[in-house]
Amino acid sequence: MRDVAIVFLKELREILRDRRTLTAIALAAFASPVVLFVISQVSVRTASQTYTVGYSGDVPAGLDILFSATSLKLERVDDPAAAARQKVDLGLVFSPSSVDEYYDPARQSAQIADIRFQTILSRYDAARIAASLQEKGVDPSILNPLPLTVHPLTSPAQAASNSFLGFFLPYILITMCLTGGLSAALDSSAGERERKTLESLLLTPASRGQVLIGKVLAVSTISLAAALASIGSMLIALSQISFGITGGRSEHIALSPLAALVMTWLAILLATSFSAVTITLGTLARSFRQGQAYATPLYFITIFPASIVLFIPDFNPSLGYYLIPILNAVLVLREAIVHSTISWSALAVTTASLLATGGVCFYAALRLFTREALLVRS
Amino acid sequence: MTGAAVRVDRLEKSLGPTRVLRGISFEAQSGEIFGLLGPNGAGKTTTLRIICTLLAPDAGSVEVLGFDTRSAPQEVRRRVGVVTAEIGVYPRLSARENIAYFAELSGVLDGELRRRVDAVIERLDMGSFARQRAESLSSGQKQKVAIARAIVHDPPVLMFDEPTSNLDVLASREIRDFMVESRGRGKCVIFSTHVLHDAERLCDRVTIIHQGRVVAGGTTAEVRGSHRELEDSFLSLVEAAS
Repeated sequence: MRDVAIVFLKELREILRDRRTLTAIALAAFASPVVLFVISQVSVRTASQTYTVGYSGDVPAGLDILFSATSLKLERVDDPAAAARQKVDLGLVFSPSSVDEYYDPARQSAQIADIRFQTILSRYDAARIAASLQEKGVDPSILNPLPLTVHPLTSPAQAASNSFLGFFLPYILITMCLTGGLSAALDSSAGERERKTLESLLLTPASRGQVLIGKVLAVSTISLAAALASIGSMLIALSQISFGITGGRSEHIALSPLAALVMTWLAILLATSFSAVTITLGTLARSFRQGQAYATPLYFITIFPASIVLFIPDFNPSLGYYLIPILNAVLVLREAIVHSTISWSALAVTTASLLATGGVCFYAALRLFTREALLVRS
Repeated sequence: MTGAAVRVDRLEKSLGPTRVLRGISFEAQSGEIFGLLGPNGAGKTTTLRIICTLLAPDAGSVEVLGFDTRSAPQEVRRRVGVVTAEIGVYPRLSARENIAYFAELSGVLDGELRRRVDAVIERLDMGSFARQRAESLSSGQKQKVAIARAIVHDPPVLMFDEPTSNLDVLASREIRDFMVESRGRGKCVIFSTHVLHDAERLCDRVTIIHQGRVVAGGTTAEVRGSHRELEDSFLSLVEAAS
């Protein structure tokens, strides 16, 4: 183990003196809060933005009040259908017995205006029906024979927060675990050949397995630091942004202790596995640049499973899915964030799967590291 | 010490489809500079790589101070220091840190480390640049770092593989002086080169290999024979063997 520690400390010292790696980590740490701040500002702005409704005919009494209450600005136009193409977000033609709506579904502002209009129209219809029934001496509650009282277990802001974290956190974790240590991994593998230090290193009595473990541990440490720095800065930034007000108090996004614990454990597993993978690729390469070329497909391989889950809402996977590396980490982390629960069997399978992946890659790297062709080619 | 420091016996090695070594044998003693001579591609580097356990022989055997390279590779590596023409160093470490790293990996213990590193820095006159990052060093200074890391664990066998091929006159001279000094300290120095002028000046005994075979061996005077210079003898031997 002494040789592992020697290699680990030397690699760490070199990495910490490498501007490329430090710049990548610093950029990631600063980029996350900036991106999230922009996203939050856009979201808040979208929620409070006023959309324009071009109309002709007479707006029914009472409906105009609902329009202004939901930030829909009414503007009289000659041809609502033509105006809805570009000039306004929604076109409405009011006649005594009906309303014709014109909007372009390709425009996001038109979609939002449409949803708001549908909402106020149903409220308006309900109010009119209730008033008519009352005029005729009929109790309006007849329209609602089974009254529903909703008791949300989390506040809307908390639900939005969980959904937000469930979307971004696994993505950032995986991306940073891969990219945070990539430069260091290639430098400590392909770089050894490129700067012609490999032969001298292999001439020492240190076992090649221990040398490799030292390198993997150093790269894992940097990957982990990059991932945690990035997520930490993101959470700090989110804690400063209000996502709604409940009971007079402003609500902020925060990670539950369970989710934080699961995330750290998964980050350790992912960082170790990715380090073994990237060092294996780097060992195959003759130069840093060639190593980068080998590593490029890795981005797609890792980002794909991380992304696909985001497009399948309420995905309820069987235990077999947790055998698939990366996808399993996303599923476990999302469960911990969104539902604040953890399936121990899923976590166990995920842990075994990621450890096995790292182990296989480490074995491959060791085989490559001890091949004569490695020296002959260099 | 009795017997040879390095004993190479009927060594054979192929790299891919090419038979690089075809039964090389020789012995090198402690306290001598042993020249391994041959044209480019003769098999000198492959032979040295097998001696220092980087490559495994297909047939034949190598012993270093009684340790077989196949059965006791780590014991062999503890006793061997290798200097090559490739002076790769870790650019973001200082000269001193480069040397200390290899000393630690070669088994120099923490209590001994500082003294050993200081000693080798002084011996090679590296004090003026020992704390500079390796990326800012000249080729000659880097070559000194390469030598220092190869000898910091005080190995009894030193191997130099074309050590002066990338160096200027001054740096080359320092390497030659260092080899002579090491011989004086009782080390077994194996010097692989195709620069016959250097070999003639430095080596006590030489072996000439060509196309993976030994074509001549003995003291420098014996191999030179009736020729005026070792180079003439070398050329006639190589031509005869081709």
